[in-house]
Amino acid sequence: MPMMSERVAAGTLEVEGVSKVFKTRTGPISAVDRVSFRVAPGEVLAFLGPNGAGKTTTIKMTAGLVRPDAGDVRVGGVSLFARHDAVTAQLGAVLEGSRNLYWRLTVRENLEYWGTMRRLSIRGARQRADELLALVGLADRARNTVQTLSRGMQQKVALCQALMHRPAVLLLDEPTLGLDFESGAGIKRVVRQLAGEGTAVLLTTHQLDVAQELSDRVAMIRKGRLVLEGSTADVLARYSQPRATIVAATPWPADVAARLAGLPAAVTGDDSLSVDLADDRGSTLYQVLARLNPHPLLKIERHQADLAQVFQEVMGEVAGEVGGGAPAAPIAVSAQAGGMPS
Amino acid sequence: MIGLLIAEWRRMVVEAVRYPLDTISGMVTLFMLFVGLFYGARYITQSPVGGGRLDTVVLGYAVWMLMMAATSDMGWQIQNEAQNGTLEQVMLVPWSSRLVFLVRGVMAIAAFLVPCAIIIAGLLAITHAHFVWTPVALVPMGLVLATAWGLGLLVASLGLLIKRVGQMMQIIQFLLLFVIIAPIAVLAGVGWHVVAMLVPLTAQVTLLRDLLNGAAVSHWVWLEAIVNFAVTMAAGLVLFGGADRLARRRGILGHY
Repeated sequence: MPMMSERVAAGTLEVEGVSKVFKTRTGPISAVDRVSFRVAPGEVLAFLGPNGAGKTTTIKMTAGLVRPDAGDVRVGGVSLFARHDAVTAQLGAVLEGSRNLYWRLTVRENLEYWGTMRRLSIRGARQRADELLALVGLADRARNTVQTLSRGMQQKVALCQALMHRPAVLLLDEPTLGLDFESGAGIKRVVRQLAGEGTAVLLTTHQLDVAQELSDRVAMIRKGRLVLEGSTADVLARYSQPRATIVAATPWPADVAARLAGLPAAVTGDDSLSVDLADDRGSTLYQVLARLNPHPLLKIERHQADLAQVFQEVMGEVAGEVGGGAPAAPIAVSAQAGGMPS
Repeated sequence: MIGLLIAEWRRMVVEAVRYPLDTISGMVTLFMLFVGLFYGARYITQSPVGGGRLDTVVLGYAVWMLMMAATSDMGWQIQNEAQNGTLEQVMLVPWSSRLVFLVRGVMAIAAFLVPCAIIIAGLLAITHAHFVWTPVALVPMGLVLATAWGLGLLVASLGLLIKRVGQMMQIIQFLLLFVIIAPIAVLAGVGWHVVAMLVPLTAQVTLLRDLLNGAAVSHWVWLEAIVNFAVTMAAGLVLFGGADRLARRRGILGHY
């Protein structure tokens, strides 16, 4: 993976070969093994993996809360471990499993506290708190103590506290976990807006629909090893199958199979059939439709993988590979690479 | 730096004012503890406590309260913040964690001054004692508090690693009581002077007591007080930094 050698844009997050082994009573556990990725300004990287895969450890190493045994974390080319305070000033984080806020303080008091702690002036913190509360729609709750807010509102305030100092890099660990639809949508809207304004966002989530909706790029980790990385669109395209499904409005006539003879189509149900487009030169689907004419159709759908399917497939693919020894190279998915991943 | 001080001051005052029961119950506990000790000792011994020097007894208790607050606050904060899930955010601010917790310790004492004054007023009222505060006592009082903050950093270092300081604080509060009572710094012999330099707070408390009593203070006690402060604070700063690094290496900053 090309990393770190060239000059990087300010606000680019670079995680280079970070590893972490935890010593436990039952022996050492490799939580993260030589993980590298980069998040450019304005980009959302969805960092996905099953429970215990190493996502939270990676995000905490990225924040400097866990010191890696090897590797480096840089923002704008500056190492977190060489200039901790300077780099930390460019990071904001909402951590999963933490409250992130003082529950006895009001929303405004929390934001002003965290803003001032992050070197804003008192007036600057007050103005920034107003901006952010308007952004997340909580201006009317500014004087409520955090403990009286709903979980969704608390999460929005936690996001605001992470944004008080306008960080170049935002780390979000399960930001929409346990939120209702409306609260989750609010968080997603803010994340999109932040990315649009140039913030680099590293997002971990188990909600793959959220990851698919928000991310520009996706990385998958399993047992501490990066197993896939690429742009979300390319990953989805690469894992989509070359076939289309045709669904009829009424059950197929008895002679449908005979009508489709010689074409790469197979009846899959009373009212559905599948068309193989692997060798398609652009006319296969029209030929099938011509043979079906005039039977009423409900829909024609080309197969499009979603992240949930990709996730299952990738985790299944690497399940047998991940073990001792050197890590297998992650599946790099790019628009230039050809063929299905093996 | 000013922002850090203001932020911590506002947070502590807001919490103390918004939840006055916490503050009041703490004050009542400290008041009742003195009453229990004072009248209990007088009942058992059937003689005046402190050899009739009630002002010294009240002063000693006041200093003990302040030392306890300065020593324990950082450790308690780390324990509570780890439980409440805010410790990691505190560690994400672009300030040295040593500085943040030291500032918190100083602000905790600043916020404790008014409740402490009320308790002392109450104690003076029930004991009919009185003492005159002289400005010259400010320096040794400052040394007492600064040393207690250094000791607090030592406690907080362990708090960062084990997230439990309750048991340790119970032991420390009795050690501090011993420090108040035992006149180590004025015992004869070079050995005792060395002990006074190494055992936190012994020389500072002796210095404060002697100055307030109008007694002659030897240069030795001043030297011991200053060396003791420097050693304790340096040890606190070094160990807290080490504990911070170790907690990050072990991945236990936010929890145990």
